[in-house]
Amino acid sequence: MNRAFRQKLGGLAIFGAILLETIVFTTLAPQFLSFENLINVALSIAVIGILAVGMTFVILTGGIDLSIGSVVALAGVTAALVTRRTELASLGFAAALAVGLASGAFNGATIAYFRVPPFVVTLAVLTIARGLAFIFSEGRSIGSLPESFGRLGRSAFLGIPFSVWLMISMFALGWFTLQHTTFGRYVYAVGGNREAAFLAGVKTKSVTFRVYVLNGFLVGLAAIALASRLGAGVPNSGLQYELDVIAAVVVGGTSLSGGRGSVVSTLFGAIFIGVLNNGLNLAGVDTYVQKIVLGIVILLAVLADKVNRAD
Amino acid sequence: MKIKFLFVTFLTLSLLFALGCNQTATNSGSGNSSAGDAAKKRIGVSLLTREDDFYRELEAGLQEAARQNNYELIIQSGDKDLSKQQSQIDNFLVQKVDAIILCPTDTQGIAPAIERANAANVPVFTADIAAGGGKIVSHVASDNVAGGRLAAEYIVKALNGEGAVGIIGQPEVQSVVDRETGFKVEIAKNPKITLVPTLNGGGVRDRALKAADDLIQGNPNLKAIFCINDETALGALAAAEGRGKTDLIIVGYDAAPEAVAKIKAGTALKADVAQQPHHIGAKTIEAITKHFKGEPVEAKVAVPVKIIDIESAK
Repeated sequence: MNRAFRQKLGGLAIFGAILLETIVFTTLAPQFLSFENLINVALSIAVIGILAVGMTFVILTGGIDLSIGSVVALAGVTAALVTRRTELASLGFAAALAVGLASGAFNGATIAYFRVPPFVVTLAVLTIARGLAFIFSEGRSIGSLPESFGRLGRSAFLGIPFSVWLMISMFALGWFTLQHTTFGRYVYAVGGNREAAFLAGVKTKSVTFRVYVLNGFLVGLAAIALASRLGAGVPNSGLQYELDVIAAVVVGGTSLSGGRGSVVSTLFGAIFIGVLNNGLNLAGVDTYVQKIVLGIVILLAVLADKVNRAD
Repeated sequence: MKIKFLFVTFLTLSLLFALGCNQTATNSGSGNSSAGDAAKKRIGVSLLTREDDFYRELEAGLQEAARQNNYELIIQSGDKDLSKQQSQIDNFLVQKVDAIILCPTDTQGIAPAIERANAANVPVFTADIAAGGGKIVSHVASDNVAGGRLAAEYIVKALNGEGAVGIIGQPEVQSVVDRETGFKVEIAKNPKITLVPTLNGGGVRDRALKAADDLIQGNPNLKAIFCINDETALGALAAAEGRGKTDLIIVGYDAAPEAVAKIKAGTALKADVAQQPHHIGAKTIEAITKHFKGEPVEAKVAVPVKIIDIESAK
């Protein structure tokens, strides 16, 4: 089998897995396949999905970003505080984007120009951002905000909620950027073989930096979608989102060692995990058992990737 | 390389030192002028967290009562971290405090540290959360089982004794499990009320929102949700409002200001079980005072809870 065929097969595998899930859950819980429930699934993966687009870029370069969950909380709290102070939700949302961009730029600069391992930098930012979120919010949720703050999260177009539209458009943009722009090709090149990319004239540091900034922007967007839906800035929100997001990317088939994968496979990974969570909840499966199931699925996905790479 | 390392170490140490100085400064500021008073009783307090309204109120209750009794409180937060709390207890023992107040971060795991305090003859009191081992002089907490029952009574009445009811819980925390137990016991008395499977909302708003989404979606005829704290209730409310399901009845727990505001505004969040954390703090100090005087102390002090709805919130 040649490699292209093998990759196609890998893509089909996740598709088949989703199909299998759908059949199982429809049998267990008949309401699973209703339009409302599919919207429900889409809604429940929207935030994770938006984050997963950015994480795909990061992982394609061979990096990782553990800070996203905490930055979602920090950006959400900032949005709520600015909105409370100015009575303008739009300013609050702009502030959330600024927080996302700033943390992304910090991560990117430290990783690209000071050559600190991504794992370490983003782990540090994880705890710093969480600490700041608690300090800014004085440890409590910032709620009771002007009505406009929650309007975005509650709005829908053609029966599909705003955050789902946002996720769809980010996946589309992410796909286009990776497949049809020079920058996208450079991302693959940096992750595939940094040395070779550098020798071929790719500004590897600049590409790495921009990938983290892009990721920060998406973190800001995800924070807006979440905070607006909650109608509040919640300092302990976003806990362990990084794990869900990395799981979605990896289950989709993007390689943690970089260079291989795509935004489309991440979308399937996110759907797979969202369907799994939703279906297990609808079927009334114990929440602790759900954790074990999710863990096994991630393990299997990584094993499949290893087997794929073996030859 | 070595010099770099030394430099980083030096920087870190000086940062810690600066923070440490700051800390002592604030401590002595809020403390008392009569620091040299040897007769003044010192009480070490390790809270579960300082990051929610409930514990802030509890801390205020402790401080107020301690001031009246002229005790010095050394208040620290366990930050929901067992090992941190253990070392705080050990530090209290080194400081030779006269009593220890704990809000255990882990009911079972804290037992060995309590046994160390027992061995050092330092009396230990627990507030809000019980300990699973060691000798406790007195445990002061809300009657959580009664709280769950109150919530169930409210829902049964609002539904005229009929309909599907759900719970968004957090099975990791004993006090929360007690609330669920009380709720289920009361609901079970009503044969026409069905309880759908309980989901875990982790006690945080974004996870509760997701759980509520699934709960509402999976049970189209759901009439009411009992949420084990207010972050959970506000998450469920966001889910209900996002789906235009305004006829749902949500009952929360803790009566935090944001939740009370939502009850007053006539939203789907109809009622809340209110604990009295300030009272818990005060009662704990009262138990310690009794103990210092050599009077008998009840092993369990149950601080009453009450229900708040749109009428009583005004």
